[in-house]
Amino acid sequence: MSKVLEINNLTKIYGEGENKVKALDDVSFSIEKGEFVLVVGSSGSGKSTLLNMIGLLDKPTKGKVAIDGINTTKLSDNKISSFRNTKLGFIFQFSNLLVDLTVMENVLLPRQIAGTNGTAEKDARELLKLVGLESQINKRANKISGGQAQRVAIARGLVNHPSIVLADEPTGNLDSVTSEVIVELMKSMAKKLNQTFIIVTHEPEHFGDVDRVITIKDGKAFEGKEHSAMEVVA
Amino acid sequence: MRPLFLIKLSVMLALYTKYIKYQTKIMIFMYQMRLAKRMLFNKKGSLIGAVLAVTIGILVIHVNFVIFQGLFDAIVRDISNYRNGDILVTDDADYIDKSDLALVNWFERIPYVQGATPRLSSSAEINMTKNGKLIEETRVPVVGVDPLRDVKASTVHETVADGTYVLNRNSIVLGNNVAEDLGNAQVGDNLKLLVVDRTGEDQIRRFNVAGIVKSPGGQGLDYSVVMHIDTLRDMMGRNGESGSFMVKLNDPSKAFEVKQFFLASFPNEDFLAETIEESAEEQLAGFRSGIAMINMIGYFGMMSSAFAIVTIQMMLVNGKTREIGIMRSIGAKRKDILIIFIFQGMIIGLIGASVGTAAGLGYTFYAKETKMSFNNSLPLEVSYNWPRIFETALLSFSLAIIASLYPSYRATKLLPVEAMRNV
Repeated sequence: MSKVLEINNLTKIYGEGENKVKALDDVSFSIEKGEFVLVVGSSGSGKSTLLNMIGLLDKPTKGKVAIDGINTTKLSDNKISSFRNTKLGFIFQFSNLLVDLTVMENVLLPRQIAGTNGTAEKDARELLKLVGLESQINKRANKISGGQAQRVAIARGLVNHPSIVLADEPTGNLDSVTSEVIVELMKSMAKKLNQTFIIVTHEPEHFGDVDRVITIKDGKAFEGKEHSAMEVVA
Repeated sequence: MRPLFLIKLSVMLALYTKYIKYQTKIMIFMYQMRLAKRMLFNKKGSLIGAVLAVTIGILVIHVNFVIFQGLFDAIVRDISNYRNGDILVTDDADYIDKSDLALVNWFERIPYVQGATPRLSSSAEINMTKNGKLIEETRVPVVGVDPLRDVKASTVHETVADGTYVLNRNSIVLGNNVAEDLGNAQVGDNLKLLVVDRTGEDQIRRFNVAGIVKSPGGQGLDYSVVMHIDTLRDMMGRNGESGSFMVKLNDPSKAFEVKQFFLASFPNEDFLAETIEESAEEQLAGFRSGIAMINMIGYFGMMSSAFAIVTIQMMLVNGKTREIGIMRSIGAKRKDILIIFIFQGMIIGLIGASVGTAAGLGYTFYAKETKMSFNNSLPLEVSYNWPRIFETALLSFSLAIIASLYPSYRATKLLPVEAMRNV
């Protein structure tokens, strides 16, 4: 198995002087291709900060984030954007679809931003079929349910065949039945496509067995294979 | 064979690469355009507000143009039609002594010339008894016309509201205001007119009122009396002389050319020749600066609409912070965001310029077809100034794009992680 993500001595400090807050403190770990990883931790522990660093949405104060062996900390803004587009897929708590677009257009968007045509529509249709939304492709994003929107977000996150799919509380806004469906969907996708998933959640119990669990506490990362690991540090 | 094949292959490869690049650019352009359009059209209130701002800006300029340029052109038209023609020929030594026939024939040989006619001016005292009461008017402008030639070069005869135009040497046509001052003189009335001749002697003659002329706007001969030019020449003791020649052209744009040709053809005479712009300059100068000021107000209006677009687009950007964050997170570059919002400015500009121009043209059409005038004043001379119409539309379109630059730039400055917090 090859490493898709390598994090070395990652530190993020917000504020200055007395208001200085260390959101991440010298975090180091790596993730292999195809792993389904949960990042857990209590509110304010630094797990979303970690996700933002991995997702290249924010810059670390110190340390290195390497995706597919490429150190991203020195990349220009344009290169980071391209990197986000091609190497990363995002699923957010509130699905974050563009309400002005249809389901299909939302899924196609990362491909259109990349300017990669050809099989884009076929791939998007295929993914929407996999997430069970083939019949909804022409619906506007604001006309579908929360669970459906999250499934569209999963399809969108996968359409560019990214190295890592990052999910920030993907079930946080869903009822338990829908949450279960979404979790199963992500797990099946991970298996089918040998896709790496890193999921930030404070509801690890919804996810059942996963490959790895990383617990964040006070800005530090702890390795734990079971949910009990979180309980140990919490 | 082999080198030829390799050349062919490399050319095909290069063409294919270009095709792929071109297709990629088209695809990116299409998605940016579609997204810009959707984002804008889903905020109908903002779209209507921004389009209205552009539309009103253009409409103000069109309305200003129709009214003020129309008024200016109407004054030029009336001065040209009633008094100066397209070219006004005078003599440095006050009176032209060349015969009417010689000059009129000379001009009428030129294909651009519609007609030429001599005119002679003076002032007179008029006595008239109306209802047993003697009414006297002094310093009344008198215009001597050649009735046969005048109808070809002037439209004063078309302003006869009652009676007929100058018929013979004993008939006189009164301007509407003169007739009123003479106690509402009417056609058929008899009056006594006094002119001082070149020797200083009073020359008095009786005339029958043949007609009353009335023209809207005051550029006609409403404050004058019109008589046969030969009668006036007799009274002034200036037989064979004329004060001026007005020359009317089929194509007024050739006025300068005809004027130059005329002056070159009579190098030994003391003729002065002026186009309508030159001869009426004194009357038009003030008006011209007024128009410039009104136009400036119009352009300020357009600038205000640009500020309205800036405000509305800022609102759009603020309303789309979350979307900008999403797009940035899934890989859109700052440039992509910039282009999307500039596209919105272009859409606003395009719709606003189209609607504004259509509304402006509608107003122009209405003003032209109804011969629009205000308070029964002179009817506006409305024209479609296509270069100006195009220029106004282009200017407002450009302004809408320029106005969208700052909000678009602001949109690019949003950090994805900050924008995402807007959920």
